[in-house]
Order: sequence, then structure tokens, then C-alpha cells
Amino acid sequence: MVAKFCNYSEQITNSKKLFSSTKDFLFSQLREGESLGINFSGEESSFTRFNHSKIRQRTELEQAHMGLELIKNKRKSYVSFSLSESTTEVDLKGHLSFLQKEVDELPEDPFCVELTPGEKSSEERTGELPVIDEVLDFLQSTLEGVDLAGQIVSGMSFQANANSLGQEHWFSSESMYLDYSLYSAKEKAVKGSYATTHYNQEELAHALEDSKAALKVMDQKTTQLKPGKYKVYMAPAALNEIADILGWDALSGSAYKQGECPLGEAFEGKKNLSPLLNMDEDFSLGLSARFNENGELADELMPIVKEGKLVNLLVSKATELEFDLKSNKASQREAPRSLVIGTGDLAREDILKKLGTGIYLSNLHYLNWSDKNNGRITGMTRFGCLWVENGEIVGPIKDMRFDETLYQVFGDGLKAITDFSEVSMATGSYSARDIGGVKLPGLLVEDFTFTL
Amino acid sequence: MTNNFDLSKWVGQLRDQGITRGDWWALREYKENTQFRMARNGKNTQNALETTHGVMVEVMIAGHVGYAATDNLSLNGFKKAFEKAEISALSLAKNSLHKFTDWESRIRPAHKGSYKSPARKELSSFSGADATDYLLNISGNLRSGKNVMESMAYMMLINTDIRYISSNGSDWQQEFSILTKDFSATAQRDSIVQKRSLGMQGHQVGAEGIANFDAMESCDRLVKEVNELLDAPECPTDKRDLILMPDQLFLQVHESIGHPLELDRILGDERNYAGWSFVSPEDFGKLQYGPKILNVTFDPTVSNEMASYNYDDNGAKATKEYLIKEGTLVAGIGGVESQQRSGLKGVSCARACSWNRPAMDRMANINIEPGESSMEEMIKATENGILMETNRSWSIDDYRNKFQFGCEYGRLIKDGEVTGVVKNPNYRGSTVAFWNGLAQVGNKDTFEVWGSPYCGKGEPNQVIRVGHAIPTCRFTDIDVFGGA
Repeated sequence: MVAKFCNYSEQITNSKKLFSSTKDFLFSQLREGESLGINFSGEESSFTRFNHSKIRQRTELEQAHMGLELIKNKRKSYVSFSLSESTTEVDLKGHLSFLQKEVDELPEDPFCVELTPGEKSSEERTGELPVIDEVLDFLQSTLEGVDLAGQIVSGMSFQANANSLGQEHWFSSESMYLDYSLYSAKEKAVKGSYATTHYNQEELAHALEDSKAALKVMDQKTTQLKPGKYKVYMAPAALNEIADILGWDALSGSAYKQGECPLGEAFEGKKNLSPLLNMDEDFSLGLSARFNENGELADELMPIVKEGKLVNLLVSKATELEFDLKSNKASQREAPRSLVIGTGDLAREDILKKLGTGIYLSNLHYLNWSDKNNGRITGMTRFGCLWVENGEIVGPIKDMRFDETLYQVFGDGLKAITDFSEVSMATGSYSARDIGGVKLPGLLVEDFTFTL
Repeated sequence: MTNNFDLSKWVGQLRDQGITRGDWWALREYKENTQFRMARNGKNTQNALETTHGVMVEVMIAGHVGYAATDNLSLNGFKKAFEKAEISALSLAKNSLHKFTDWESRIRPAHKGSYKSPARKELSSFSGADATDYLLNISGNLRSGKNVMESMAYMMLINTDIRYISSNGSDWQQEFSILTKDFSATAQRDSIVQKRSLGMQGHQVGAEGIANFDAMESCDRLVKEVNELLDAPECPTDKRDLILMPDQLFLQVHESIGHPLELDRILGDERNYAGWSFVSPEDFGKLQYGPKILNVTFDPTVSNEMASYNYDDNGAKATKEYLIKEGTLVAGIGGVESQQRSGLKGVSCARACSWNRPAMDRMANINIEPGESSMEEMIKATENGILMETNRSWSIDDYRNKFQFGCEYGRLIKDGEVTGVVKNPNYRGSTVAFWNGLAQVGNKDTFEVWGSPYCGKGEPNQVIRVGHAIPTCRFTDIDVFGGA
């Protein structure tokens, strides 16, 4: 058991105070006809990366970033900057005067999203996170003889929004994860993850033990498959990679109107998805803020696919202004922020039996569109993908490249969905820790094409 | 006040007040301003200035280095960062992957100096209004083209300043001026939608890079070619010769030469995220990566290439080095830390994407040296082939073996003549077999400077700018295919 938990209450209180005083100052500096939207985000995080179960690098980080959008006469401009107690009022005035010069000089933006008084919200999700050195000590003792690569990340992060018309939102959360892979002497690997808001050393130990057991299977005979069509079981972690690429225009209203939406034909009803498929933007998952960059609060639940019908694309206010689509308060990227795919009736114990002979896809890697307008994706198998014959695991496969359409995965090829699903916390950290997550089941898919 | 921040003054204060920690320490200040400007369909759509400013504190204790980053540039902020970096270094001392030796002579050698991008005119001299006018004109011009239903013109103007001061006497500064741009035209006829773009172009240059670029000529070409694609048949599915233009070949080099040669991947650091490598330590000096006409260099000295510099972020002086010489693998892409860990020859390539991340092995400028073939000679030598331009899709496995790329524009070649345009051209293959199929390397007339502002890697994740200067090349017996 850990001796003590981290307490982030002081950091959160200080961040809130900094947000409050900065926005009040900026709003007080506005001139006639100007409105100002503010986004503020930050984190206090610890990143420790491992190779061969030993520490390669450890980085402690404190950062906060503020973005300002000034609007005047349908002209808008944006500036963002690092914000801390060392930021002065002179700095803030400098950022604001840059924006004021811009909106005086720039041409009109015909699709400028005007600020509105909007709503107020506040969500503080506190956790019980360990002092990281204690976890490092525990890992050192428990990883004896195990080859682990990955990283442990822990800390608090926040997002906030306000505008000069009175809208105000706050979302903060405390979380940690160990995202890792284990390797056998034959260089075979399985992927694992322990993610939580309330640390429990026994649960972490259990996750590592499960991974060690899975790794043993990887030392069985490796099968080299020929390119062709195979029946596959796509585990939730593998489906997570597909879910990720859905955020690359597949559900975007703007991309649809610009002729670049991979699921555009499903939205128009020209192509069918499987009636087994249900997909929602569901903020009750609790991992993402409901407010977007404009401070608009999305509905807690919005169906995207209902029994195979693509009923809603993600539409931002900017897209509503430009095109004939109604906004559902999506983010500017029009990517899912809290995606949940509905469960089916395939029980965990029946997965191998129903797969029969085919490939158990534990993970996928490096997906990209190979024919975007037709919804076709290419990518690789990775980590713990297994060849299964007559419902029995034979052993790992040599990695294969696939090239298949979303219409096959979510349409004709979809034969069953598991009766369970798994929550996966966002682990991305380009420039800052991602906030968010997904809840996904496993899929049984026929005629999934491998090419190399 | 961060605008007048002077790191050297802070160093004196931190020393005087006993705030510094460890057997050795360094401060890496990173300040960046990026202007994003975009117009679509002749309308102004994006004007943003993103700035960031902070300091990474490095503390070394007994051969172990800890990192702590902060944008709180106050005494309190530095004090906390030094304390945290010390805690990090001490935790490594208990269970570290490697204890570094020869710290001050090899791992963090002291250098004084500077670097400045070859910019004749400050990027800031190109105002927001100037940039917007320029992009409105281009996107409006593209949008008025036949069948064009969507046009975009986009620009990033980047100024980055890095200052590095260490306890053993390093004090250097590097100032970068980078311009990236892309224009595109999407055309539609019935259900056929096709797109042509410049490809994301990025160079170290000043505002003169805008005036020197013939945007209207590019607009005419993109509109002409996107209309050709609307009329074109699908790319055939077969095996044939492949000529890759620099705007595609640069990404092929990036994915199938650059990444697998990174020493931290070979050492296994990236196994859980970006991936491992098919290259093993024993391959250096032996592996025939390609034929004798293949020469690949790490070259931070090409004046306008995106990742040219004098020092990497560990303070090592950067020089041009061969990675593949006459087809044989001779060195890896690894900074001083990976070189000591692996015992392999590397280059000065330890880089961090910003103040908030530690340095690790990154590509900088990874180039193919020009060969001797002209464009005409390469086409003439092709009996049954295809020429592909401008990347639109990429994917490769975690060992960097099995790749697949898609391009915007293809042209078939039969008996030494270009015979017509095809749409949705794609190709796939395996790395070493592909490079050993290299039949001709283009001469200096085909050589172009490209690069990517978005190379992702690392835990925590980092996205960084890389350069690739590349001639056109011809490959034999490649699997090509078209759309769905």
C-alpha cells in the first residue's frame, strides 16, 4: 500500500485564482464593440519512461497556457501564451493590443462565430494519486526478470473557458496511468495498461500479472499468414485505433460539406452500416469536459449511429454558419470527445469459438486513410495478435498490413459485438496531456483484408 | 516580464541564492512564436499567433540526469523546478537504465556560440494583413478554377529562439526563422472528388521566401492537374517501375530510413509507442541498405533546410555525417547519450520539441545525396512504370518494414514515354527490398529541399520539424494499386 497520496488542491486553487484574476483584468481592458473569449488549460504532471524495466528519463512538468480570441465587427484573431505567476499585466496588455491591431486590419470573416452569454459549469474530479517515487519503488521490486517498456504518467490537469459576456466553465481532473508493453526473450510483445483516478497497488500488480500470463502465449509457434481475407476478432484496444481515425474527418460535418468525409455515403444513406452498430457521443463517461473551445455545452448524450443509421455528424458552430448543417456543439475539429460504441451479445467466453479460424487482433498500429473518400484504411497488426484455429489459440502471427474500409468493419462484415466494453483513458501528450477517453466493445468482423 | 527575460541574468541570481542543484546542471530556454494564417474559398478563416516560453532544468547527480520544466519564470518557479529535477535524478540513481560517464567531456560538452537562420527579411515584416491578402488571393484564384469546389491556402510563420547555459560553461543561442505553406484545390464531378496540393513545404527562410515563390504559377498547375485527375482512370494494380518525385520520396526516406536508424529505437526506448527497428546493432558497417548509388547523410548544414542548426539540444556541435555510404549502413541517428549506451557511431541529433520535453534522438536533416541521372534519363529508362507525386497517405509497421503510401497524382510511363494521368496512385513494399530496387538517383537538377513540421515520437509525445533534401529516384518492381 502507498504511504501517502498527492494533494493537488493547492495547485487547483492557485490555477483557479490565476484564471480569475487574469480574465478579470483582460475583460477590464476591452474597448467598445470588442468581445473576448478565453481558453485556459494546464497541468502538473510527472512522466517517467521505462526501457527494460529501468528508468530511461523522468520529467516533472508544470505548465499553463491561455488562449484569447478577440472579436470585433465580424473580424477575429487569436493569440495564446504561457501563463504563470511570472506573467505581468504589461505582458497581458501586449497580447491584447496585438489582437486589437489585428481585428482593426483584417478583413471580415463571413463565418465568424460570435460569443454568447452561454452557461456556467464547474466540474472538479479529484483523485487519489500516489507519490510517484513509491510507485517506482514498487515497480522496481515487481518487475524483476521482466522486460517492460512504457511510461507512467500522473498528475492533475485542467481546462477552463470564459468570455466577456459572462460565460464560464471549469473542468479539472486527477489521473494516472501506466501504459506499457512486456517483451519475451524472443522479442514477442503484449500491450498492457493500468489507468485510474484512485490508485490501488493491488490492481496495478494484477494488471501486470495478467500481462505476464498473456506474454507466455506469445512464445508459442509464430504463424506467417498469406495476404487475403480473414475473419478477425478486434479487441477493444484494437478498435480504439479505428475509433481514433474516426476523428480524422470521418464524422465531421465540415469535411462532409467539403467532399472529404469517409463516412459521407453512410450519412446520405447510400451505403449501409450494420444494424448491430450503435455509436454515441456520451459525456456521462466523465473523462472529458462537455464544453468546447467556444464554451458551448454539448448535450450529455448524442447518438451518432443508431442501429446502423448514421444519424448525426459532429457539427461545430462555424460549420453551421458556413453550411446548411445544424450545430450540435462539437469541437472545432469535429472529432468525437467521448465516444461510446454500444455492446452486443457476444460473451467473452464465446469469442474464440465464434471466431473459429481467424485472427485475434489485440492491437493495431499506424492507421491512415488509403482511400479517404471510400472510407478505406490501412494499418498494421501489433502487440499480441494471435492466430486461432477451430476456436483454439495457435500462437502469435507475424505482423500483417491490412487495407479495409470502414464499411466492411462497421457494415457488411460486422457479425457480432461483445456484451462487454472497456474504458480507455486518453494517453496522448503532444504539447500537453490529453484529457478524455472512450468506451468500446470488441467486434467480430468477416472478410477483413490483409495485403502484405 | 517574459518579453525582456534574460536567462544569463537569472543564472547569476540562481547561483547566488543557492538554488541550483546537483553535480552539474543546465537551463534550456525555449521561446517560440507561430503565426497561423489560412484562407478558404477566397475568405479569411484563421488568424492565430501561438506563443510559448519556458525553461527546462536539467540536474545531473552521479551520472543520472533528472528533468523538470516550468513556464513559471520567477524565482519561485526556478526553485521548484530545480528541486523537482533533483528528485528526478535521485530516483534514476535507484533504478536507472544507464549511468553516464565522461559527462562533461562527452555527454554535455561545453560550447559557446550561436546560429541564425539565413533569413534576409524578418518574418514579422510580413504583417497579418499582408499574409491574409496573400492567402485570400491564392485561395480565391484556386476556387475560381474549373470544377473546384473547395480551395485552401495556409501559411505558418515560425520564430524560435533557444538559449542554453550549463554549469560547465556552455552558453549558446540559436534563432530559427521558418516558413511553411500549403495550397490545395479540391474538384468534384458527380461522385468523383480529387485534390491537388503543394504538399506542406517548409524552409528556414525569412519573409523573402514569400516574395520569391511564384504562387500563381502553382495555382494554375494545381487546377490543371486536379481536372486531369477527374478525367483519369484508376491507378492500375500490378508490379512496375516507380519514379518518386521529391515531394513523396522525402516521406519514404523519413519513414523507412530515418526512423529505423534512430538509435533510441534500436535500443528499445520507443518500443511501447513509436516502435522498434528492424535494424540491429550488428548491422552497422554491414547491412546493404541499397545499391552503391544510395548515399544518405545527416546534414545540418544545408542553408534553408528546416532542421539545420549548429548545436543539438544536448549541446553537441552538429556536423554533416554519412548514415548510408555507397549503400552500406555506417552510422545511426543517435545523440551522445545513445552513442554511449549503444557503443555505436551516431550524430548530433538529440532534440526536444519545446521547453517542456527532454531531448531524445530525432531526425534533423536526413538527405539523399544527388546522383547522376536526369529526369529525362529516368523516364527514358522506364519500360513499364508510373511516376507519383505529392504524398497523401502513409503507414508503416513498428519495425519500419512493411509500408504503404498513397499519392495525389500519378503518371503512367510506357516504353520511355509518359502516356497519361491516373488517380489514386498507391504503392507498398518492404524497406530493404525497396531500397535495393533503387535503379537511378536523380542529379542536382532534380534535387529539392522538403521536410515535415510534424514528426511524432516519444513518451511523453513530442512533435518536431525535420528536413529532407531529396532528388527524384527510380525504383524497380514495385507493387502499385489504385482506389477502392
